[in-house]
Amino acid sequence: MEKVIMGNHAVSYGIQLARAQVIAAYPITPQTQIVEMLSEFCADGLLDAKFIKVESEHSAMAATVGASFAGARACTATSSHGLALMHEVLHWAAGSRLPIVMANVNRAMGPGWSVWTEQTDSLAQRDTGWLQFYCETNQEVLDTVIQAFKIAETIFLPVMVVLDAFVLSHTQEPVDIPDQATVDSFLPPYEAKFRLQPGDPHAFGGLLAPDHYKEMRYKMQRAMEEAVAVTSQVGAEFGKVFGRSYDVVEKYRMDDAEIVLVTCSSITSTSRVVVDELRAKGEKVGLLKMRLFRPFPFAAVQEALAGAKKVAVVDRNISFGHGGIFAAEIKSALYSAPHHPLIFPFIIGLGGRDVTPQSIRNIVSYTQEHDKPDEDIIWMEVKR
Amino acid sequence: MSEKIVFKTEADMPLLPMSLGTTLYNKTGSWRYLRPIYRDKTPPCNQACPAGEDIVAYLRLVNKGEYEQARQRILEENPFPGVCGRVCGHPCESECNRAQLGGAIAIHAMERFLADLPLERKLLTLEATAPAGAKVAVIGSGPAGLSCAYQLARRGYHVTVFEALPVAGGMMRVGIPSYRLPREVLDAEIAAIAALGVEIRTGMRLGDNLELDDLQDYQAVFLAVGQHRGRKLNVPGEDAEGVLPGLEFLRRVNMGHKVKLGPTVAVIGGGNTAMDAARSALRLGADVTVLYRRSRKEMPAISEEIEEAEQEGVRLEYLSAPVEILTARKKVTGLRCVRIRLGEPDESGRRRPEPIAGSEYTIEDVDTVIPALGQEADLSLLDKGVRTRGDLIVTNEAGATSRQALFAGGDAATGSGTVAHAIGSGKRAALAIDKFLRGEALDDFPPLTEHVHAAPRDVDPTVVHFEDLNLAYFTEEERTPQPQRAVSERIKDFGEVNLGFAEKDALCEAERCFSCGTCNQCDTCWLYCPDVCILRRDHEGYEVNYDYCKGCGVCVEECPRDAISIEEELKWRK
Repeated sequence: MEKVIMGNHAVSYGIQLARAQVIAAYPITPQTQIVEMLSEFCADGLLDAKFIKVESEHSAMAATVGASFAGARACTATSSHGLALMHEVLHWAAGSRLPIVMANVNRAMGPGWSVWTEQTDSLAQRDTGWLQFYCETNQEVLDTVIQAFKIAETIFLPVMVVLDAFVLSHTQEPVDIPDQATVDSFLPPYEAKFRLQPGDPHAFGGLLAPDHYKEMRYKMQRAMEEAVAVTSQVGAEFGKVFGRSYDVVEKYRMDDAEIVLVTCSSITSTSRVVVDELRAKGEKVGLLKMRLFRPFPFAAVQEALAGAKKVAVVDRNISFGHGGIFAAEIKSALYSAPHHPLIFPFIIGLGGRDVTPQSIRNIVSYTQEHDKPDEDIIWMEVKR
Repeated sequence: MSEKIVFKTEADMPLLPMSLGTTLYNKTGSWRYLRPIYRDKTPPCNQACPAGEDIVAYLRLVNKGEYEQARQRILEENPFPGVCGRVCGHPCESECNRAQLGGAIAIHAMERFLADLPLERKLLTLEATAPAGAKVAVIGSGPAGLSCAYQLARRGYHVTVFEALPVAGGMMRVGIPSYRLPREVLDAEIAAIAALGVEIRTGMRLGDNLELDDLQDYQAVFLAVGQHRGRKLNVPGEDAEGVLPGLEFLRRVNMGHKVKLGPTVAVIGGGNTAMDAARSALRLGADVTVLYRRSRKEMPAISEEIEEAEQEGVRLEYLSAPVEILTARKKVTGLRCVRIRLGEPDESGRRRPEPIAGSEYTIEDVDTVIPALGQEADLSLLDKGVRTRGDLIVTNEAGATSRQALFAGGDAATGSGTVAHAIGSGKRAALAIDKFLRGEALDDFPPLTEHVHAAPRDVDPTVVHFEDLNLAYFTEEERTPQPQRAVSERIKDFGEVNLGFAEKDALCEAERCFSCGTCNQCDTCWLYCPDVCILRRDHEGYEVNYDYCKGCGVCVEECPRDAISIEEELKWRK
C-alpha cells in the first residue's frame, strides 16, 4: 500500500512491520514523531509491544539492552545529544552481541544549539561496534529498518539506521508500505542465542580477565567483516521479495566516469539530478552512494573507484583536527588499492545549511578545474 | 587462574561475557549497606485526633468497600462516631496533608457516613482483663464518662455511671443543639454502651445526693463532671431580667423546656456555645447579634459553625465588648459597649483585646442578653482531699488524682472543651484503671497533650508531612462538600442542618486520601525495584527479599506516601 508519509513515520511503520516486542524511548527533536507513532500503535493494539517510557536516552538504551537480553526483539530511536548520552550503553549493546535496531535522525551537535541535519552525531559513534546505514529516501528508511533486524539477528550486532533531520524526518514522500504477511515471510521471529531468565540466572557482562577479553573483540570484528556480505545478501533477498534491491554501496552512472562524487544520505538525491544534468552535456561524471558506513565496505569502494581520476567526497560532518570523515575513510580504503585517484575532500552543509543542486555543481566544477585540492579540507560555502 | 585457556577453534571462543555456571549461589544482598524497611509512620490526622482514632486505616477500609470493618476500627477507640462525625471540630482536617492539594479530606463526614450505615451497631467486647467482680463508678455521663465506661465494660468491668441530670449524655445532650446532633443519634450510641452492661443512674448529683465516700463498693472511681457553670460578664446589670447565661439557655432548649426570649437577642462571646446559643435563638424566632471582643481570626468556634450562623442571618460584631447592660425597671433594654483594638499576643497566643478609650457606644432595643464566655467546673462539690489548680482537677498522665483510686478526666480535669478530647480522656482513664486494678504500674502513659490508643498500633511515631510525600503521584482533587438543608428551610426548626455523605461521596473522599505514612498496597515499590526484590504478600503489604536487595533506596524514594524507611545495614547485622 502506497502512502505519503514523512521519514520519521517510515521508521515507525518499519518497526511495526518488523513486529518489535519492546520499545524503550525518550523524546528528542527531530526524532520524537517516530516513538510517538509507535506509542500510539502500542496503545491502539496495532503493535503487540511493550512501550517503556524512560527518563533519559541512557535509560532508553539500557532498557532496550535488558529487553534484548531477555530475548525480545527490541528497538529505540534517538538523535544527536540523545545518541551522545547513550554512548556508554552502545558499547554494552554491541559487546553483549545484542541485535538491537535503532533509528538515529542526524542532527548537529550543540552548541550552538541546532536541530538541523548533520552527520557528526552518528559518525562520532563509529567505534562502538554498531552497524550504520545512511538512507537517501523515506522508502529506503522503511526498507532498511526491516532489513536491519534481519542483518542484526544474523550476525548478532546492533544496527543503527540513520536519516537526515527534516530533509527526510519531516518531509513527506510516497512510500510503499509492504503487507505484514510478506514482511513476516522475510523476517521470521527472533530466536535469542542467550537469554536472561530468572529461573536459570547467569552473570552477563561481568569482569573479563585479559585471557578472554581480546577473543571477544576478535569475534566482534569478524562479525563486522561478515556483516558486509550479509548486508548484500539481505539486500538482494529483499529485492526478490519486495522488488527493491539494496547493497552496501550504489553506483550511479559510473560507467567510464572520470570524476566521481561520493555522497550519502539525502545529498545523494540532489547529486543524482546534477549528475544527470552533466551527463546530458556529455561530461563523464558519476556518483557513488555510500549506504553502509560500518562495517566500511572496503572492497566495494575499491572496485567502484578503480576507474576514477578524481573523487569528490561530500562530507556533512567534521572530525575536528582531521577533516571530513567519509573522505578520511575513502582515502584509507584506497591506500591498499592498486589505483589511487585524487581525493577532493569537501565539507558542506554543516548545521543543516541547505545543499542545493548549485552546491553540487560548484563541487564538480572545483574538481574539474583543479589538478589537485588547494587545501587539506575544501570548505564549500563558508562565509569568509 | 590455574589452567591455561586455549581456544582450539574460533567457535570455541565465547560470544559474549556470560557466566557458564548459574549465579544462584551469589546472594547479592550482601553488597547492601542500607536496608529498606516497611514501617508505617504516623499520618498527621491520626496524630491530631484527640480521640486517638486510626483515621487512615478506616479511610483505607472504606476505599476497599469494607464499611463494617471501617466502622469497627473507629469503635475500637471511640463509641461516639455518630456524635463526633457531626459535632467534632475535626483538628484532623486542619492537619490533613491533602489540604494543600484540593482541600483536606472531609474526615468528619466520613466518620458520620460510617456511623450512619444502615447496619446493626454492635460494640465488641474484648478478652476480659478485669479481676473477678471488679466494679468501677463513673461520675458524669458525658463523652468522657461514657468513653471510660465503654472501654472498661468491654474489658469485663461492672460499671455504674452516675449522672446528675435526669438524662444521660452530658454536654452532648444539653450543650449541643439538635440541629447539629439529632437526639436519636445520641440515644442510639448511649444505648449501645448500656447494652454492654453499663448501668446509668440519672438524677445522682455529687455533693447533693451522692458523696465519694458512698462509693466504697467500687474499687475505682472516674470523675468526669464536666464544666457546666458559665463564666460571668462582670458588668453592671448582669442580674437584670432578660440576661440568660448561654449554657443555661442551651440546657433548657435542649431539654425541651419552654424558653422566653425577647424579639432582639445579643449573644456575648465567640466560642461554640455562643454560636449554638445564637443559632438556637434564631430558630426560636429572635433577631440575633453576636458581640465578640476579638476578630474573626481569633474566634474559637468551629469555622463551619460561624459560616453557617452567618448564612442563617446571625449578625457578627467583632472588636466590641459590653461594659454595661442597660436596664429599665430591672429589665434589659440595651447594651453599652466599647470598641476594642488588638494588642500584643497574650499567653494563649491570641492578640490581647484592649478597649479604645472614648469609643463607647450604645446598642438600643436589646431584649435578651446571652453571655457565652466559656465555662468552668463547679468544684465546690469535691472534698478537700482532691488537688485542684484553678478550676481544674489535677491528675497525672494516667488520669489519677491525688486521692487513692480516684481518677478524673474530661473538661473538669483537662479544660479542653471538646467531645473528642473528652472521649480520649475517658479512654486514657479506662486503660489506667484497668492497669491499676490489675496491680500494674501506671508509668507508661503519654503526656496529657497526646492521645492514647485502645487498640495497639505498631507504627513509627514520626509524623508524615506534606513535603515527605512523593507528589509526582498526586494531582489536585477537590474536596467533596457535604450536602446541607437550604438556609430558608433549616432556620424554621431544629432539624439537622447537615445531610451526610452518600456512598459515592464517601468513596470519592476515601480515594483522595494520600494514606500518609501508611502502606496501602499501591504496588509502586514492587514496580520500581530494579532488582525485583519486593515480594507481594496477599492482602498485607510487601516484604523485601534481602537475599538480593542491594539497598539502592529506589523503593524508599519512590513510595508515594513515605511508608518505607531506610536504615544502615550495620544496625541490623549486630
